Amino acid sequence: MLKVQDIEVSYGEFLALRGINFTVEEGELVTIIGANGAGKSTILRAVMGLVRCRKGNVFFQGGDITFSPSYQRARLGISLVPEGRKIFPDLTVAENLLMGAYTQRDKKALPSYMEEAFTLFPVLKERRNQVGKTLSGGEQQMLAIARSLMSQPRMILMDEVSLGLMPIYVEETFKVIENLHRRGVTILLVEQNARKALGAANRGYVLETGEIVLSDSSQRLALNPQVQKAYLGGT
Amino acid sequence: MLWQQLANGIAIGSVYALISLGLTMVYGILRILHVAHAGIYALGAYVGLFSFKLVGNFWISLMVGMAGAAIAGYLVERFLYTPLLHLPRIAPLIVSIGLFTALEEAFRIVAGPHTLTYNARIGLGDLSIGSFRLTETQILILFITIIILIFLWAFLTKTRTGLAMRACAQDPETTSSFGVNVSAIIAINFIIGSAMAGAAGVLIGVYDNQVWPTMGSIPAYKALAIVVLGGLGNIPGTVLASIVVGLAETFFIGVLAIPFPRDAVAFVAMILVLMFKPYGLLGKA
Repeated sequence: MLKVQDIEVSYGEFLALRGINFTVEEGELVTIIGANGAGKSTILRAVMGLVRCRKGNVFFQGGDITFSPSYQRARLGISLVPEGRKIFPDLTVAENLLMGAYTQRDKKALPSYMEEAFTLFPVLKERRNQVGKTLSGGEQQMLAIARSLMSQPRMILMDEVSLGLMPIYVEETFKVIENLHRRGVTILLVEQNARKALGAANRGYVLETGEIVLSDSSQRLALNPQVQKAYLGGT
Repeated sequence: MLWQQLANGIAIGSVYALISLGLTMVYGILRILHVAHAGIYALGAYVGLFSFKLVGNFWISLMVGMAGAAIAGYLVERFLYTPLLHLPRIAPLIVSIGLFTALEEAFRIVAGPHTLTYNARIGLGDLSIGSFRLTETQILILFITIIILIFLWAFLTKTRTGLAMRACAQDPETTSSFGVNVSAIIAINFIIGSAMAGAAGVLIGVYDNQVWPTMGSIPAYKALAIVVLGGLGNIPGTVLASIVVGLAETFFIGVLAIPFPRDAVAFVAMILVLMFKPYGLLGKA
């Protein structure tokens, strides 16, 4: 479904990604794990079209989207849950959700999508008329996920969704991710919490300073001594 | 007397609102101080006046003035600001000041240096109750401003594009990742803001019965003061600040008879706000 071929991204002089290759098949949950600053977020931003690739190509459902602006990628069915949640601070919860559904032309379906979001995260229903910045961190994270789902994405990119959350919310969030996966949504998950991510994913890639150094099924990655040592806190 | 001054103050304040809203909307979305906005305002007055001379109908001249200003605003955005957005914001500011001066000269060359009259009437007549008097033009100003503000409010809160515009002012990148063509939103933002400035130009032209090349120079800095007063980018704040400045001008000069230059009132208000409430009248830290 998604094929990233040999991409290179730089911020000024700094080469953030080099020669990145990976694929995500339809219905898969794939994770990219790696340390802080390894370039995980940059990969997602490159797939979403928020940073320009200096080299290489990005294919989505067979089409080359390397030069498509991000709004067109959104219209193809890619949706990003950005790092830091990026809730619209002065829009209400309901308006934030409507922004998520911007690509949906069918206005009549919006109330049912909204209800779905509220079923998934009942707290959002209570807060529907509050502006985004008044929500707690955990609530904002739920809103960020719900907002992405409002677009009925074919593929969802999740950037550090567990970062800064209380452990109880981390559990909740991963439950939601696994549920989405079961429902057939294709997910690319970038995480520092490698244990959780590998527990949920089908396959994984390990990113080190802008390069993919390992790729395997998540079970095998979780057993790999190198991965255990570097990312799972093992000895 | 008091009611009279109140009505005068609100009328002039509503025109300030029409000019300042475009400025605050542009700042909200692009973080550019759009000084040339006052040139667009004067352009609206000229285009309105010329079409009035051709067809002799106020409403048509208002529409044409707004359309002319909207087109000019769009061209400024597309061909002057957008190519400069990757530069520090001082670059579009310099361009904006240059364009403003150039527009004033262009008006002088095309329409002559003298003051033209814009003697449009719709045949409504003035409204008098005792000593209280609303001129036809004041009624027009209030009526047109209220209609435009209702449309703006409905557009921003009830439509999908309006929602995207508010989202864009908060976070353009995230907005684009949800399928919004941000550059189209910016263009719409300029078109709406410039059309409002064009309406203000026509209304002031008719109100003062004067259109002249540098009619934008005082509104240029007064609108800036009002926008700061309202909290940069804050739309309700800007409307409130406009009315406050309109009333303050009328009351200081008309009621208290304080010998104080009228056009300085906005700046005194701005200085006070910056000292005590630096995020503007309705702003929050």
